[in-house]
Amino acid sequence: MRFKRRRTGAVTADLDTGEAGLLAALAEDLLGLLGDGAAADEDPLAAMVGLSSGPVAAPQDPALARLLPDAYADDDAAAAEFRRFTEQDLREGKRTGAGTVLATLAPLLGRGGRLALDRDQVDAWLGTLNDLRLVLGTRLEVTEDTPLEVPDDDPHAQALLVYGWLGWLQESLLSCVEPRPGGQGQPR
Amino acid sequence: MLDVHQKGRAAVSSGTREAVEHDVARLHAKGLWATLQQD
Repeated sequence: MRFKRRRTGAVTADLDTGEAGLLAALAEDLLGLLGDGAAADEDPLAAMVGLSSGPVAAPQDPALARLLPDAYADDDAAAAEFRRFTEQDLREGKRTGAGTVLATLAPLLGRGGRLALDRDQVDAWLGTLNDLRLVLGTRLEVTEDTPLEVPDDDPHAQALLVYGWLGWLQESLLSCVEPRPGGQGQPR
Repeated sequence: MLDVHQKGRAAVSSGTREAVEHDVARLHAKGLWATLQQD
């Protein structure tokens, strides 16, 4: 499986059954980890006027905390306030991306085949591959010095293999895209 | 970018609190571990 850019502008990749199944399972896990994001103590009045009253504490799970990081490293009150107004959107954006990945994989499940992505779907895939790497990397406590090739009997051998593969896919997909005109992703 | 590579962190934006919070939210959406602080 390698992403290729077609003359039509579409980005394609040929997946075998195992690849499609693995990626779908990972995207499902990511959706599960992100949860539905509905705060139990949602303020109905705030919700009515469209103000999200999200959670204020960083997630306990380190992998989820990496996806939804604190904006202030040394100011808990400011971090909580920031989280309250941004976390729901951040979660929702990531959920939407993972949902797009699952939807594009759906026709390939159980038989493999050709994936064809338009520009928006490519963005969703790039974001989700990155999120999956962050989650797996956090779980495996990957650092710069972590060898990705370990003996087969290492308990993390399989997971590190997947981690490395996700990075390779990410690079392959990234090499297929040009920046959007106008630099949508540029910080001001 | 070189700072990120060599030191693991770099300042990429500065301005009013509101503007920088906006940038941080966008960086979080891209999976980057952005934090902000007052100088």
